[in-house]
Amino acid sequence: MSIPALDLNINPDFKVEVHTTNNRGFTPEEVAERCAQKVISISDTAPPEIQAQARAFRKQLVKVLEFYMREAIKSDRTTVYNALTDAGHKELVDLIRRL
Amino acid sequence: MAFSGNFMCTSFKKELLFGVHDFDLANGDTFNIALYTNSASFDASTTAYTATNEVSGTGYSAGGQALTNVDPTTSGTTAFTDFADETWTAATITARGALIYNTTPNTTSISVTNPTVVVLDFGSDKTSTAGDFTVVFPTADASNAIIRIA
Repeated sequence: MSIPALDLNINPDFKVEVHTTNNRGFTPEEVAERCAQKVISISDTAPPEIQAQARAFRKQLVKVLEFYMREAIKSDRTTVYNALTDAGHKELVDLIRRL
Repeated sequence: MAFSGNFMCTSFKKELLFGVHDFDLANGDTFNIALYTNSASFDASTTAYTATNEVSGTGYSAGGQALTNVDPTTSGTTAFTDFADETWTAATITARGALIYNTTPNTTSISVTNPTVVVLDFGSDKTSTAGDFTVVFPTADASNAIIRIA
């Protein structure tokens, strides 16, 4: 009885994307969209009804992610605000508050 | 001299068989991603990180940044692993491609320094100006993940 050969195929067919910004960071909308793409991938070979349902769910997920990202940003600003206040940087504190 | 596509480095395949690379999140190796200009010329024969033609600019340090590993897993008969997206913040840089390499390889059986894993071609120059520069890795599944063994 022969032993089948172990055929390891390491697939070189991969694709990365690069997202950039100029004079700003990414917005919560942009990050939420990227996150949702990671969480829910939709197969091109799935039945159209399933694809439509998945897209609708992903759209809803983006909205939820956006909301909580804004919450996280606000909360982090509070942390930064307090750290700068404790360090006596009043001008920076005002800048942070106005963002 | 220019980037000419994505490549899985041949030396990486050999090194897998020597047990050089560990992609575990908690206890695995540290993989860096370094950015390059289009003057760099990498292909499957690239074996190790080099600083030649590496990007320079505000917000970028030579050697690149450490990636966050994603634990290897399987789907069907395909094993795969991934990395979390990597961002250079407040950066003013232009890059055409990247190298992913292992900064902490297991050299028990073979001597290697900063061995490469893959060559990434962005397809065109990508620029951030006082902004964020993010490399977005493909979906971690059996059809798209950046490192798949079928």
